[in-house]
Amino acid sequence: MSTSLELTLRPDASPTRHLPGDLAMWFFILAELTVFALLLLTFAVAQALQPQLFHDGRQFLDSSTGLALTLSLLTSGLFAALAQEQVRQAQARRGAWLLLAALLSASVYVWLKLGEYSHLANSGLGMEHNTFFTLYWILTGFHFVHVLLGLVILSWLAERCRQGAYGPGNCSALESGVLYWHMVDLVWVLLFPLVYVLN
Amino acid sequence: MSASTTLIACWLGLAVLSFASVQLGSAGATLLMVCAVLLAALGKAWLIADGFMELRHAPPMWRWLILSWPVVMAAGVLLALSVSL
Repeated sequence: MSTSLELTLRPDASPTRHLPGDLAMWFFILAELTVFALLLLTFAVAQALQPQLFHDGRQFLDSSTGLALTLSLLTSGLFAALAQEQVRQAQARRGAWLLLAALLSASVYVWLKLGEYSHLANSGLGMEHNTFFTLYWILTGFHFVHVLLGLVILSWLAERCRQGAYGPGNCSALESGVLYWHMVDLVWVLLFPLVYVLN
Repeated sequence: MSASTTLIACWLGLAVLSFASVQLGSAGATLLMVCAVLLAALGKAWLIADGFMELRHAPPMWRWLILSWPVVMAAGVLLALSVSL
């Protein structure tokens, strides 16, 4: 598969449009977004059918925690994007440190989410409690698995950066990994209001 | 504006919209509030797609393909929730 897709649009000015990362990653992202779309719409339709049940279920969730989860993920996304920018400027070592910062910020998300899961499970609000919690666990659990995979990818990228494996003309793999992480962010910005905010 | 400054500006926008959506959500459960929260989510999705994912420099097909996802999601959620409001 090609490493980067470039199209020449106009020969006079602003000549190239560039799709970062590997083309295969973009198809993977489209597939992932399709799966998440089905889950998000299922949640919304179920809420429309049982509004009171979803209102009651949401009382057990803390929107402040949801906000902290959001900020930790978005901050991690910022560090990953900055790391990519540093590598493009031949600052691979600085990129490795920024990827480490992305990893730490994402770890805050994992820590907060595990706390929330633990609190709900200890309160007897497991997957079988009612429709709200069944969909809550499936939707956020599926996203959580993606976050964990993202941590593995960020760790790998940080180590490869530290080894100097990426540079200005050779960072397609890094871009693909970072794109995956932004996809996790993209899903969360729709998941967060639907699960935590929209009563 | 350098690329790093653009990214930090995107993050600031994302943080402000996140705070705003929580505030809007706690203000009530009207259709207007749902619309406002979903608009904030759309703004955040746009900042991630065009800013972090660099789709503003990508071929238009890919840019619109990714940007259409949050629009379809927000429209679907709004349609579903408007039934119960």
